[in-house]
Amino acid sequence: MKKDQNTVLMTWLLVFLGGLLWNAALLAAPALRHHAPRVSAMIYAVFSPVCHQIPERSFFFRGFPLAVCGRCLGIYLGFSAGTILYPFLRRFSRPFLPATSIFVLVSLPIGLDTAGNFLGLWASPIWLRITAGLAWGSVLPFYLITGLYEVLRLFGGKLRLKSTGQTK
Amino acid sequence: MNDHKPNMLAPALIGGAVAGVLSGIPFLNCFCCLWIIGGAVLASYLLAKDSPVSLTPGDGAIVGTLAGISAAVVDSLVGIPLHGLNVAVMRRMMERLSEFADEMPSGWENWLDRTGGGASIAMFFMGLFISAAVFAALGALGGIIGASLFGKKKAQGADIAH
Repeated sequence: MKKDQNTVLMTWLLVFLGGLLWNAALLAAPALRHHAPRVSAMIYAVFSPVCHQIPERSFFFRGFPLAVCGRCLGIYLGFSAGTILYPFLRRFSRPFLPATSIFVLVSLPIGLDTAGNFLGLWASPIWLRITAGLAWGSVLPFYLITGLYEVLRLFGGKLRLKSTGQTK
Repeated sequence: MNDHKPNMLAPALIGGAVAGVLSGIPFLNCFCCLWIIGGAVLASYLLAKDSPVSLTPGDGAIVGTLAGISAAVVDSLVGIPLHGLNVAVMRRMMERLSEFADEMPSGWENWLDRTGGGASIAMFFMGLFISAAVFAALGALGGIIGASLFGKKKAQGADIAH
């Protein structure tokens, strides 16, 4: 039981630090544009396959757009907020997946907004994009922590078996 | 995550190929990371379809990670013939950015010429490695979501997923 809790804590810490690093990189791209333009360009390039990076749809920092658009920023900030909330809602007991209805509920706004913009039905203001992203992103750590916890437990168990000389 | 489940490689490759192609096409990349997450969800769905037992979130994470890595490879390969188009899109974006940004760093116009002049093999593999890490993280997420949406089988005596 104690070992289980330690694995959950380790998984949570991994996800929390990963999210922190990810969000720091989004800010670092514009912040380093003058002082370290090559590093800044590399960060923009890293995020370019996962975001259109259109300046009109992005927030600015120190005169330059962040490494991702407003919607993606919402998803990633929501992810970090969800990770911070996780211990208060679930503690460090064995993690489980959220109900499908919750996922559908938080996916509806971002799904409708993205589809409407793509089809040219409307052009959402940036605050709507970030809000939809925040809502969706906030449930994602509950999935990632559950999945990573299982993977860590599986590989941890296999390593322990190997170290004691046991095989399946 | 047991022996009763089918091989994860085929679903991961299919999901990754779909995500990689869609995210690599400039016009369609307005869906941002949703393509990668969607491709990993597809990989989980395909795995669940062929699996006689329920998928665990761990299964979803593994197949999603593999799908993310293959998406990164496909995206990079798709990017080679579309390189010229991508540079043109990037140039337009930088020009628009120069209208928005207060002050652009010196020599920013040449930066695109340098990257547009043909990236080296080392840069290609470095970019691929970083993309693979980013795509793998998003893929893991998509795979777990897919496992939660499609991975449950109706209660059977033989279901030993947990």
